[in-house]
Amino acid sequence: MTNDYLWDPSATPDPDVERFERALGRLRSTPPVPVLADMVRRKPDATGPIRWRTARFLAPSLAAAAAVALMIASTWQTTRSAASWEVASLEGQPRVGSTVITETGRIAVGQTLTTDASSRARLDINTLGAVTIETNSRVRLLAARADQYRLALERGTLHAVIVAPPRQFVVDTPSSRATDLGCAYTLHVDEDGTGLLSVTAGWVSFEYRGRESFVPAGASARTDPEFGPGTPRYDVADQRFRDELDLVDEGPRMKGYAMGLAYVLEHASVHDAMTLWHLIPRVASADRGAVVDALAARAPMPDSVTRDAVMRLDKAALDQWWDALGLGEANWWRMWTVTPR
Amino acid sequence: MQHALSVARPPVLTFPGRSGETGARGGSLADVLRAVASGDQDAFARLYADYSRMVHAILLGRVPRRDVDDLVQDVFMTAYTRLGALRNPEAFGGWIAAIARNHATDHLRRSHEQEALPDEMPGGDPIEAETLAILDVVHTLPEAYRETLLMRLVEGMSGQEIADRTGLSSGSVRVNLHRGMKLLREKLGAEGYD
Repeated sequence: MTNDYLWDPSATPDPDVERFERALGRLRSTPPVPVLADMVRRKPDATGPIRWRTARFLAPSLAAAAAVALMIASTWQTTRSAASWEVASLEGQPRVGSTVITETGRIAVGQTLTTDASSRARLDINTLGAVTIETNSRVRLLAARADQYRLALERGTLHAVIVAPPRQFVVDTPSSRATDLGCAYTLHVDEDGTGLLSVTAGWVSFEYRGRESFVPAGASARTDPEFGPGTPRYDVADQRFRDELDLVDEGPRMKGYAMGLAYVLEHASVHDAMTLWHLIPRVASADRGAVVDALAARAPMPDSVTRDAVMRLDKAALDQWWDALGLGEANWWRMWTVTPR
Repeated sequence: MQHALSVARPPVLTFPGRSGETGARGGSLADVLRAVASGDQDAFARLYADYSRMVHAILLGRVPRRDVDDLVQDVFMTAYTRLGALRNPEAFGGWIAAIARNHATDHLRRSHEQEALPDEMPGGDPIEAETLAILDVVHTLPEAYRETLLMRLVEGMSGQEIADRTGLSSGSVRVNLHRGMKLLREKLGAEGYD
């Protein structure tokens, strides 16, 4: 019977039902499992679910109950900071999940913080720093472990001021992962998944599917679902330079790439050596030599590095050349582990 | 194994359970609920894995898609903190389904009091127009058909699985699926989707 498939998905497929499955199956979603410890902390008066026909069992031993309460309190203390962050409303009525935050509240792993056109919020991350969430934004807390704090910025703008050791604070966007290297920065994501990272202090690494950008203070990098993190450029670069670089980032097959690259190579200043270094592996192989020559003209290649090695994209050679730019050693940021998306 | 609040483990409880029934993987539903009540995060994850699809489907049939994930978590939070009110572990599926329906109702009431956001917020996973058109029609179906169809067509649950999770009889689920599908086809046909 054809309709058996409606009851039993392992039966012979019914093409009509399959069509509905394909269409509606796109709506399937599995939000992260909430953390129990945080739920108990959110409802301290309920003392968890232990009222479940257990109170009378616990009653005979007040001493034991007191000990349990003490241990619960201790557990709360040790898990509180790891399991959730404090949220403060800066303006309007931001929401954590479906709960409106009027003054302060908390966000647990898996929950989202949403601001509308009239609300802003601040996330206080213990001793790590603070993140301001601007209007019309949506962020999800993905991890709050002692060794990693991770947010997803689904849309909108956040400002992060991080004082924790490098690589502990990470923000995912639809087209990149921003890893803090000890810094302050602003990250914006548009509704189409494109975005812009602007660093005001320290460094941020921007990574997506193996493509990396190291963005220093005073510089910015775009991000795009098509090509991931864009080439970083200093904000003092003129608008034309930045526009042409955007065209180069879109790739050799895009109209405007060749003219954009020519403009960038001609007009790059000594200050833009950082940008040219990033371009070496990004341009078409036929254009790589021109980029290497342009960089060499602004920041001489170290004696230990050969042109052939750079043309082969030898990692050690590229890192040595980076070190010679005077922007800090490449080994420093190479220490972090890129997590496959 | 993570025991977030293992220190709060209550005395062993005995529930009358149907012979051979396992709610979540690795033990009877009563055992799993008992472990959850004691703060066992792993048991809670098993419970979540077994029932979150049902809760997701119920919510998807009632509230805007963008709010469903958050509400799924809210429902499980409420269930956890109110677990003491559950008298019969076998009724857990129907009980958490009722919590989900109540949360959806409360959410819609609150949403009407606040600034309305468009149902579809760009920037998330792109959902094709056909999907949203079908979902719109599903929303017009009677509740019993709507929820059962979403569990089957969105969450990929089998008829027997739906019956096990919701506490409905197999016969009721089968009827809901077939009548719901018939009605869905008729309504889509009337809107020119066939």
